[in-house]
Amino acid sequence: MNDKPRILVVDDEPQLTRVLRTGLTSRGFDVRAAADGLAGFEVFSDWQPDLIITDLAMPNMDGLEFCRRVRAISQVPIIILSAKGEEKTKVEALDIGADDFVTKPFGIDELLARVRASLRRAHAGPTKGAAQTLLECGDFHVDLDSRAVTVRGSEVHLTPKEFDLLTHFLKHPGKVLTHRTLLAALWGGNYVEQNEYLRVFVGNLRKKIETDAASPRYILTEPWIGYRFDPGE
Amino acid sequence: MLKSHKELLGYGVAVVVICAATIVLRSFGDHVNATTVALTFLLLVLFLATAWGPKPAVLASVLAATSFNYFFLPPVGTFTISDPHNWVAIIAFLLTAVTVGQLSARAKQRTEEAEVGKRQIERLYEELREAFERASHAEALRQSEKLKSALLDAVTHDLRTPLTSIKASITTLLDEVRGRTDGNPMVALDEESKLEMMEVIDEESDRLNRFIGGLIELARIEAGEMHLRRRWGTVDEITSAALQRAEPVTRGHDIEVNIEADLPVVRVDERAVSEVVYTLVDNAAKYSPKGTSIRVTAQRYDEGMIKITVEDRGEGIAIDLRERVFDKFFRATRDGDISTHRPSGTGMGLAIAKGIVEAHKGEIWIESGTGGKGARVVFTLPIEDEDDDIRIP
Repeated sequence: MNDKPRILVVDDEPQLTRVLRTGLTSRGFDVRAAADGLAGFEVFSDWQPDLIITDLAMPNMDGLEFCRRVRAISQVPIIILSAKGEEKTKVEALDIGADDFVTKPFGIDELLARVRASLRRAHAGPTKGAAQTLLECGDFHVDLDSRAVTVRGSEVHLTPKEFDLLTHFLKHPGKVLTHRTLLAALWGGNYVEQNEYLRVFVGNLRKKIETDAASPRYILTEPWIGYRFDPGE
Repeated sequence: MLKSHKELLGYGVAVVVICAATIVLRSFGDHVNATTVALTFLLLVLFLATAWGPKPAVLASVLAATSFNYFFLPPVGTFTISDPHNWVAIIAFLLTAVTVGQLSARAKQRTEEAEVGKRQIERLYEELREAFERASHAEALRQSEKLKSALLDAVTHDLRTPLTSIKASITTLLDEVRGRTDGNPMVALDEESKLEMMEVIDEESDRLNRFIGGLIELARIEAGEMHLRRRWGTVDEITSAALQRAEPVTRGHDIEVNIEADLPVVRVDERAVSEVVYTLVDNAAKYSPKGTSIRVTAQRYDEGMIKITVEDRGEGIAIDLRERVFDKFFRATRDGDISTHRPSGTGMGLAIAKGIVEAHKGEIWIESGTGGKGARVVFTLPIEDEDDDIRIP
């Protein structure tokens, strides 16, 4: 009876929390709302939600600090609600560990799709399979030992860096990965400002795995932010 | 080339002037004495030095000494000098002539140099002034661009926030309707939830409308197009109208009204002043806890002025924010550091109130409430004003 997914909504706009509470409840979620980061963190500690939706600009404790505190103790998916003009803060929040974002104003369907994707990802769990030597996700099949990659049933040959990039994407399907996060994961912290490296490798990888590299369906560009990987069904 | 040509001309003029002077002085025969001759020559050397520089002056000095000796010192017509006094005279004349020539030439040169220096300083000053003007113009532009973008951000936020709630509500309702018509009801919205969504849409549309109304009012004040319709009225009537309008928001508060007895009637735009009182009462209710009191007072103030105050028992406003809250789109709760939530205003109320009060030639400011607790907003109005229809300057 009580296995409804729990969602915590943190926003200082009471009208929006009212709408989200009703909209999400009607879709079978258990929803609680808080008006700022501080109150949100209290609810989070007491209630252990499965997912958090949070605004960025709030009194008392803003969305950034809230994400940081939650991330320090939990891997619960976090979706950010941001307005245009908050790009910098949004990227910062994603770097801190937020999983996704929705730009205001948004339709409830878009938010729900993101909620479902984030929950799916969380349930899949970060370490699935015994020794984690096989990565299977959507159209992709990767053997980490032999470094063999199969896309839609046919084998593709990747350079070591392209292989690393693809496995990083496969480990975080659906999640928005900022330029900084990807650069740090592939080349280490000294290269986090070198976006052009990333563009080149993403371009090459697209040529090898996409059916049409000009309109990619797996590696999707999030303008000014980074990339999102959709493994397909 | 030009310089040596000019120098040559200088020497020529020196020779001609001294010769001419000698001829003129000789024509007087024995009527001129040696002193007159010496002084005349000195005067000419001085003139030549000033006009043609030091070198022609030296030539003129030597020529003048020679002429003085030959034509005017006895024995006249020879270069010999019999009297030892005349030796002293001729040497003194020569030294004086050379020195005077050099000094005056140098003085002239200094003057010219100073003149050049002065022109240079003037040019430099002019260049600096222009550079400074360009820089300050660029700075002003940059500042105004910054201000514009900050205002745009604020407006965008205020428009987009209600829009977000409206969009989220309407899409939830749409999903429900579509699911039902498709015979695939995946959304379980009960009547109460539907009503709530519609209420949100209604309230947020009103909020957008209020915001836009405020923008228009502000634009009018800023463009100086606000006409005051002044009429004689009592402060009692004005505050009553405002409090009646504010009744829905002040239900949870105790309202205390204290209007000084025998307060004279005032000649103001009643609707506008009532709007000011309403804004202040509305703010007081918004930013102070329910159950606390809001005090509205009116009394005489200075000569020919009355003072109206609205005081709450909330958290008050920090001293450094007390002027900024009158800036348009500034909200102490969001932009400042007041640790209460719920900033539901438009950030325009106080800016409009200030515009109205100043149009009446009054003043508005914020101070701490009684005993240092809460905020007290004070504004003043002149009791009498003879002008009929006043525009905001």
